[in-house]
Amino acid sequence: MKGKMTGDRIKKDFQRNWSLYLLVLPVIVFYAIFMYKPMYGAIIAFMDYTPAKGISGSDWVGFANFSRFFSSPYFWRLLRNTLLLSVYSIVFGFPAPIILALLLNEVGSKKFKKISQTITYLPHFVSMVVICGMIKDFCLSTGLINDIIASFGGTRAPLLQDPKYFRTIYTVSSIWQEVGWGSIIYLSALSGVDAQLYEAASIDGANRWKQTLHVTLPGIMPTIIVMLILRMGSLMSMGYEKTILLYNSAIYETADIISSYVYRVGLIEQDWSYSTAIGLFNSVINCALLVVTNIISKKTTENSLW
Amino acid sequence: MRKKSTKLLALLTAGITAASLLAGCGSGSSDNAGTSDAAQESAASEDAATEDAATEDAAEDTAAEDASSNEDAADTSADASVYPLSESGTLTYWLQLNGNVSANFTNLGDTELGKKWQEDTGVTIEFQHPAAGQENEQFNLMVADGNLPDIIERGWVNSYPGGPEKAIADGVIIALNDVIDQYCPNLKKYLEEHPEIDRMVKTDSGTYFAFPFIRGEDGLCYTVGAFLRQDWLDDLGMEVPTTIDEWHDVLTAFKEEKGATSPLCFDYANFKMSNPFAFAYGAGSASSSFILDDNGELVYVYAIDGYKDYLTTMHQWYEEGLIDADYATLNGDQVTAKMTTDEAGASVGWAASRMQLFMTTAQQNNPDYLLVPAPQPVLNAGDTPEYGFVENNFPDVGAAITGSCENVELAARFLDYGYSEAGHNLFNFGTEGVSYNWEGDRAVYTETITNNEDGWPIAQALGKYIRANYNGPFVQDLNYLEEYLQLETAKLCPGTWGVANARKHIMPPITPSEEESKELATITNELGTYVDEMALKFIFGTESLDNWDSYIQTLENMNLSRAIEIEKAALERYNSR
Repeated sequence: MKGKMTGDRIKKDFQRNWSLYLLVLPVIVFYAIFMYKPMYGAIIAFMDYTPAKGISGSDWVGFANFSRFFSSPYFWRLLRNTLLLSVYSIVFGFPAPIILALLLNEVGSKKFKKISQTITYLPHFVSMVVICGMIKDFCLSTGLINDIIASFGGTRAPLLQDPKYFRTIYTVSSIWQEVGWGSIIYLSALSGVDAQLYEAASIDGANRWKQTLHVTLPGIMPTIIVMLILRMGSLMSMGYEKTILLYNSAIYETADIISSYVYRVGLIEQDWSYSTAIGLFNSVINCALLVVTNIISKKTTENSLW
Repeated sequence: MRKKSTKLLALLTAGITAASLLAGCGSGSSDNAGTSDAAQESAASEDAATEDAATEDAAEDTAAEDASSNEDAADTSADASVYPLSESGTLTYWLQLNGNVSANFTNLGDTELGKKWQEDTGVTIEFQHPAAGQENEQFNLMVADGNLPDIIERGWVNSYPGGPEKAIADGVIIALNDVIDQYCPNLKKYLEEHPEIDRMVKTDSGTYFAFPFIRGEDGLCYTVGAFLRQDWLDDLGMEVPTTIDEWHDVLTAFKEEKGATSPLCFDYANFKMSNPFAFAYGAGSASSSFILDDNGELVYVYAIDGYKDYLTTMHQWYEEGLIDADYATLNGDQVTAKMTTDEAGASVGWAASRMQLFMTTAQQNNPDYLLVPAPQPVLNAGDTPEYGFVENNFPDVGAAITGSCENVELAARFLDYGYSEAGHNLFNFGTEGVSYNWEGDRAVYTETITNNEDGWPIAQALGKYIRANYNGPFVQDLNYLEEYLQLETAKLCPGTWGVANARKHIMPPITPSEEESKELATITNELGTYVDEMALKFIFGTESLDNWDSYIQTLENMNLSRAIEIEKAALERYNSR
């Protein structure tokens, strides 16, 4: 009964808004082909997959690939490195564009604002390979950073060969690369804050700092929350590109993360099923984190994705 | 209202995220085309490994013999192919484009070699090349996808997990025994005449899997060694070092008297285990992690006592500033820069693509600049070196016919061309009258190669006409190398570096069974990550060598003894082939 009603409703809605359905069609097709169809391939995580036999012909092995990963001597290290790098990038990387946006918002000179905006988001458009090449050069014992350290009387040391510096290098360079780009969405949110509110606040005697705290920040809070939730969802999915471009075997201790390990095992060693299992494990945790953050956000701020 | 706008915003941001993900993918793939320095370097150097070498006399006779006995071969079995082939056709051929070719060409078919190869055989070839440094990834994706070209040229013994037997079982490539027997008189004849090489290019069960690249002479196998500044030695009144202690003194003098900031400078990624200092302690290895020790016993090189002594010395040198501070991250370009600007005085590498290149570059500014090869160092003065760098005559590169190939006969006859006399000359010397001329029974490269009008380095000029400076389905000729090494001191390299007994200690290209290799891969993957990491930690001193015992214990916990067991079994089977 209810099903029939829904069916009718959709039919009616379709007749009225068919053009809108047409508009959304390419997106649905895109998701179906490029996002959902490949998910079928994830079942090889439970198989002993060989391309010659194909998915239908390979043997099922249950959770063997997962237990192999969990009992691997590298499991805890990979998990710790992945989590720590993500946490650092959220703790330090997430507020950075907000702060930049707030600062830019306060700048009076339009020209200065435009120029600094352009400069800060420029690194975003430089290829990751080039960026990492630059970082590697900067971190050499004869590189830029060591030149600065030496000019203050410090001793030169190759930075990318010491495990204790990797996380800092990774996080700081990520901020440098993405801060300008990330601030764009906040700048647009800032322009949407009602100017009357600022007027009212200044009449009430609020200075610039107080206005920022009580008008600006609450005004862009929904944006911040949504961005944070999305960010949490990708907490574990650290891209492998930057890591494999920067790391060397001397700093595996802090630099080797799940995705770089999957890359080495899967694409270099052709251990398809094992690397799929690790990737799947990663996705499940991501999904859980997304849901948890959403619940917390719903409870505390009344903002949420669904 | 507010709630609704939030929702909208959420959708919007989701959209943006999706879009940016897409953008990410796009830029990702274009990045790949450019690839990292490191990846390119390693790809380039792999090719370069196939590049130098040599002593003794020419392998030319093989070519001549080939020709003369072609007829016999025809009698016994296969019908000799007459080139160009009467049947023409089109084949697809996948291979890594060598760095010396890709510098000027995007496709092997555009080079003079590619054109002549097709013209001579009468077969049209569509060459397909993976992005530099992405060879393994793109190959693996191609296999997973199942969409294979007719011919794939790459390593099969070490680079295909599970080895050639598995590749055949997977349906990726086909067994070639019947094919060679029927359609490939030239290769067949060569293998019949060289049983030692014949043993290397097939599996335990006697299956041929590829048209192999073969180094025709032992002199072509001594490709890597140490070299240093002769002009500095002269200034300091020192001799070319022959022991580890002498090396220490020379490097210290380079540092203190000559102001070298990194006296010994080479790229770790390429030579971490194949440098002469590791060989001095009997702990070096050209490719495999397993070697045969003094007693002929198979050992895991990262677990032997000699390796510990080697690390101790390296650590000491590193502490004293004798090894480059950025040892782990250096790439070839940085080494070149340091070696040609007096920052470094000694290096490890290939005769032509490194040593000769450094000299031609640096001599433009400093005519006195002179590098000489140093012999394989030993521990005690007067000892004869026992271990040293030497490659297998079959360095694991071969062109295989895939399971998707529809015209196997055509592909086989096309590939067999490389082992005929005409093919031998084409791959080693190029086009007669253009890239080389005969002087008596020696091929000599023309000005087109040695003094290229486009200003290309010799290696790139060679890349346009021949394949002997990297690899391919043919037999490499010593004549090529002797002509390639132009500078007096570079010509000394193969003779200086060669160690008579070196071959006793390297692993032949063994082929574990499919089951074994799976287990072996799991173990060696875990071991590999760990030993790589610990090697640098021991050298840099972040991990004390006092912890050696716990290092060995960890290796044991990772099931090292099982890995050795598998390797031993495979070696036994190889020896009884």
